[in-house]
Amino acid sequence: MMKLIDEIVAATVEGDEDRCVALAQQVLDQGMAPYKAIQEGFSQGMLIVGEKFTKMEYYLPELMLCADAMKAAMEVLKPQLGEPQSGEIQGTIVLGTIQGDVHDLGKNIVKIMLQSAGFTVHDLGCDVPIRQFVGKAEELNADIIAVSAILTTTMAYMPDLTDLLSELGIRDKFRIMFGGASVTPEFADEAGADGYGKDAAEAVELAKRLMREKTQRGAK
Amino acid sequence: MIDFWEVVRRSEKGPFVKEDEFDRRVGRLARQFVEKYAIRYDPEQVIPADDDLADRVYQAGLELFLELGIYCKDTGRLMKFNRDEVEWALKHAPTAVTYGQGQDVRVMTRRKIEDSKPPFCLNTPVGCTVAEERFVAMVQSYAQEPLSDTFSSAFSQTVQGRPIKSGTPQEVEAAIWNVVKLREAARAAGRPQIGIHNLVSNAERTDATLAAVQAEFGAQPNDGLAIAAIAEMKVDYERMKKTVFLRHSPYSKYGLYGPLMGGYAGGPESTAIVHVAHHFLGLLAFEAQWHDGFPLHLMQGCNSTRDLLWLISITAQALSRNTHLLIGVSPFTAAGPSTEMVVYEIAAIVLAATVSGLHLNLVAVARNKHPERSSGMEARIGAETGYLVARQGIKREQANEMVIKILAKYETQINDAPIGKRFDECYDLKTVQPTQEYLDLYERCKEKLSGLGLDYSLV
Repeated sequence: MMKLIDEIVAATVEGDEDRCVALAQQVLDQGMAPYKAIQEGFSQGMLIVGEKFTKMEYYLPELMLCADAMKAAMEVLKPQLGEPQSGEIQGTIVLGTIQGDVHDLGKNIVKIMLQSAGFTVHDLGCDVPIRQFVGKAEELNADIIAVSAILTTTMAYMPDLTDLLSELGIRDKFRIMFGGASVTPEFADEAGADGYGKDAAEAVELAKRLMREKTQRGAK
Repeated sequence: MIDFWEVVRRSEKGPFVKEDEFDRRVGRLARQFVEKYAIRYDPEQVIPADDDLADRVYQAGLELFLELGIYCKDTGRLMKFNRDEVEWALKHAPTAVTYGQGQDVRVMTRRKIEDSKPPFCLNTPVGCTVAEERFVAMVQSYAQEPLSDTFSSAFSQTVQGRPIKSGTPQEVEAAIWNVVKLREAARAAGRPQIGIHNLVSNAERTDATLAAVQAEFGAQPNDGLAIAAIAEMKVDYERMKKTVFLRHSPYSKYGLYGPLMGGYAGGPESTAIVHVAHHFLGLLAFEAQWHDGFPLHLMQGCNSTRDLLWLISITAQALSRNTHLLIGVSPFTAAGPSTEMVVYEIAAIVLAATVSGLHLNLVAVARNKHPERSSGMEARIGAETGYLVARQGIKREQANEMVIKILAKYETQINDAPIGKRFDECYDLKTVQPTQEYLDLYERCKEKLSGLGLDYSLV
């Protein structure tokens, strides 16, 4: 018989929502720590899903199905979670597609992958004015602002974001990551970002690195 | 009959659906129709010669469209259509589109599968970012190509030294500058009246686009604009406003559709039927006179991968066999200018496209991402390949054998494709001619492609 954790991983990879919910209930019934189930089970499953997606063994509908299954299980576990302990939450990210840009497919994939990796993601949607990124990041005391642009005419707003943060004297409060079809690493660097992700998998790794750097510097 | 204003009415009164529910519905329905019509991608049949498969892909795309409808992002409402309405629109779709004036008049007409009529070549750097001082030279390099039927724009990083930002006054200024400079490039190319198929590609907002489409800036009757769907199967009022303007003006309009393989639709089979459905979207929501697809691989940002070649071919065959729509494709390569890989990628895409009934919008290279990586030589490579494929009378089975062999030359390098040389490294900017190095590289590749059966003497 498979161990409960193994079953959670398998059910998450299969995107079996009913099974994930049932297993989450089993976690509570058996007195297992919910965070253990999340970290070693559901998140581990989503890690495999993410790898399959990167290799195009899974496509976006499968990725969304698996994320939904995990989300449904989280609803069962959430009331029992209590206060998170150190290291249990990766960080808070304000995410959106920049002003003038209505393309959100890539941003939505990044959101799913970041959430699956344990980040708290506040998705502002698309066509987001830079002052809204700043306002929401301040309001939430976010760790990272992640911005996507697919068009050359809209990525021109990216330097404005870092400039505005500097002008307000709060640039060091946040880590900035840029991505999107038209954005290159060179452009992101020149625009003052702390990092660039060429796809969702890179975005997750980058976010983790930025959080490590931030924690080490004790910036927040 | 279905009237444009009835389409707009449906965007206001159709059933309300949350956007994320619509996104999920795309994949769910597409998968359902893939199963219903038993559509299977065969990696060894990149260019299928299976008419029944093509017809099934068409029927699946049509049924998907009838079931799904078009999503209007502004209202969250679905514009749904019945079969009679779609068939009426197909029956009354244009059979020809004219570009250019005087000696540069060119007419795009329908191509069929394995047609000996050469593809219409719309040459363009597809908005490749270029320094302002090199903009005219770059676009001239496309306009001056002998096989260029029309041309279009690069993307200048700045206009009068100022960066272009969507929605700002500078965007309007830049859009006007773009039209002025395109016509300047046409004159410099010695083809002052050549058609410009997309007059404004550096403005996202409709106000800026329409401000620039004026005769005094260089726009001529028969020039045109692209109207792009938002993937997958969505439109908004910014795009539909262009349609209204174009209905009242002497300019043409074409639909632009870029479904992502691996995205909301799923794999190659389901993305194929969603791509077919996009053509109905363009016909009804944009009244598009012709249709240009740029289906892309979600992870690679190009369409030279094996599965995308299949998708390009089978969707073109589906539409060619079942409609008289004027259809084209924008090849997107992973490699950049002055590399052997870019020649092979272009050859593979153009082979798949041309035998399947498509026209050619040539060509986005280096994943259409890297500044200064684009030149008229890539359009030449594509146009020459398209011409000889048609004139040589290559059949689908032959084309498939050739493409399989060409794929072997680059397929494993797609992930790490070279971005190639900058425009100013592979062209002499004074003469606006390709360097001898690039010409020699092309000759070497032609020799290898000749060995696979392509007869370049027919160009």
